[in-house]
Amino acid sequence: MLRAIFLKEWLKLRWSLFGLLLLHLCLLGYLWLRLRHQFQVEHSEMIWYWVFELRRLLYDQLMLLPALTGVVIAVAQFGPEMLGGRFRLSLHLPVRGDLLVWAWVAFGAGVGALLALLDVVGLYGLIGLFFPREAAASAVLTALPWLLGGWVAYVGTTLVLLEPAAARRVVYLVLGLAFLALLYRHRGYQEYDRILPALIAASLLLVPAVILPAHRYRHRS
Amino acid sequence: MTAHIARWSLMLLAVFLLAVWLPLAKELLFGYRYGKTDLFYSPVIERFVYTELLGDGHQFIYRDDAGNDYTREAFEALIPFIYYKNMEIWGRLPLLIQGQSFDKAAIQAERLVLQLDPDELPGHTPRIGLYPLLESNPGRARLSFPEDIMRPGAALTFIGSDANRVDPALTLTFTAALREAGFAFPVRATFGRVSILKAFDAGYFLVDADGGLFHLKRVDGAPAVARVALPEGVAVRHVKVAENRRGEHLGLLLATDGRLFLLGKQDYVLTPLPLPGYDPDRMEVKILFNPLQRTAVYSDHREIRAVAMDRDFRPIAEYGREMAMARPRPVDRVWSALLPFELVLSDPNSRYLRLDLRLHGRSAAIGIAVALLAALLLLRRRGLSWLALLPSLVFVAVTGLYGLLALLLFPPERALGVEPEPAHARALSPAPAGD
Repeated sequence: MLRAIFLKEWLKLRWSLFGLLLLHLCLLGYLWLRLRHQFQVEHSEMIWYWVFELRRLLYDQLMLLPALTGVVIAVAQFGPEMLGGRFRLSLHLPVRGDLLVWAWVAFGAGVGALLALLDVVGLYGLIGLFFPREAAASAVLTALPWLLGGWVAYVGTTLVLLEPAAARRVVYLVLGLAFLALLYRHRGYQEYDRILPALIAASLLLVPAVILPAHRYRHRS
Repeated sequence: MTAHIARWSLMLLAVFLLAVWLPLAKELLFGYRYGKTDLFYSPVIERFVYTELLGDGHQFIYRDDAGNDYTREAFEALIPFIYYKNMEIWGRLPLLIQGQSFDKAAIQAERLVLQLDPDELPGHTPRIGLYPLLESNPGRARLSFPEDIMRPGAALTFIGSDANRVDPALTLTFTAALREAGFAFPVRATFGRVSILKAFDAGYFLVDADGGLFHLKRVDGAPAVARVALPEGVAVRHVKVAENRRGEHLGLLLATDGRLFLLGKQDYVLTPLPLPGYDPDRMEVKILFNPLQRTAVYSDHREIRAVAMDRDFRPIAEYGREMAMARPRPVDRVWSALLPFELVLSDPNSRYLRLDLRLHGRSAAIGIAVALLAALLLLRRRGLSWLALLPSLVFVAVTGLYGLLALLLFPPERALGVEPEPAHARALSPAPAGD
């Protein structure tokens, strides 16, 4: 049954994933071009000074990409389910409703994590081309809250889409945005290093949370 | 059961987010302009004087430590070495103080401010451990950044910025020079001022594996290393390098036990500063030099203290007071009464973001009582038994109004047989079971 569920998710997601993969590769390519251009028009030691001392983030083009990816995956997965009551049909499959929703979320989060891994490897590699390895490691640590933003945006959008009541949808939207906004308050590199574990722990509350709108959908009058 | 856990997860998440965002919203709505108190030692009346903003607008006071108030002009005349440019405009130069005359040049020659803020300390700010070692003898008017960067570690590695590759020759030269001077690798800490907008370059101070302090410069492309003799029992926590041509001091040295020293330009002589109650992790300190005295002023966000010293750094007078900005405002009192705690995201003493839990103490009992009463009414209307509503009441008792808001956003399901509210009020409530 699980294999069938994952196959269905793959069929729903494949074109969106292809588009997202292209978008991520294009943005990494753009980052490479921007860095290369920067090093062509400015002395390398000055760029290093900007990055190490003035704390400029030359890779912040990637900042909102994970969140956008999370929203797109959630919409591609759960948007069709909410059309014409298809979700109700899915809930009649011979599998527990909560396990079904978690399987969907695991699939969506899994492909999101693969794209996040691509971002991490790409970011480390690109920064490592132009800066010493300390700067590449710092860039990845700085980008971790943005990647967490991808997960929050994904589950937040899932909650909004699965929820049957309009007012509660607004609550989920505000909750998701409030969490997301917490992840972009940096003024320089690695400022989230010490609170990232706490933020990850808080974001894990979204794993059980995603069952509630599905439960309410199933049991609505 | 999973729906039950899901609801509690959402309530916990809502409390977490409210506890972070509501304090930020409060700061946005009720932010205030109270700055820190400016405290000085007046060489004219030989007393401490201060200026402070008491509230909104421009409610400044200018006062001495005996409580005498002054006009702004009279206040500035009490600290004429600070406001010497105004003294010049007002025709009061040269100054005659304590039987000595000071003209503009004499004042300028002695004026110096050394400052150390908590967010400069290691561990208070994220730092990529790479440092450009400038040429200290550039042979031209301005300093410039080198085309390589220093990586202090198991060796003193240099990386060329054009090719982003290690420079083996430079690495070998500088590592060998440090070893010859008795430096024990790996480098434990590196302190310096990374800027080309300074009067001269003093290089870096490096702490070795044994806790020894070494001064490293690049002079005419070659390493210049000197060992700094540390007094018995002094372990270096931080060195603040201040490359100023004036004065006899190169900066400040903070020991791990919190003692602060002036670091001399000549032979790196360490002069201890007598600063009772100084806590480097939360207090910024300024050392003000003038032709007659030196004053150390240090403060956190509640109290400000100062020690006036003679030219040989022997204490003359001490003073301390709670700043106006530390006094709670009515809005702060109401806030503490309404909410039991808050999660503070930023720390004025660090660049790292934090999630500090600040408990509001007993004053929050009012808010908790109101929240509990409201929660009780809400839950009873949903027809829940006392046993069923107990977990929610405990939750609100701990989290106060945050918990009440979470309960309103994610109310429990109604007991069987209880009529739902009209459709317009039902939007946030789960409907009775049944498919």
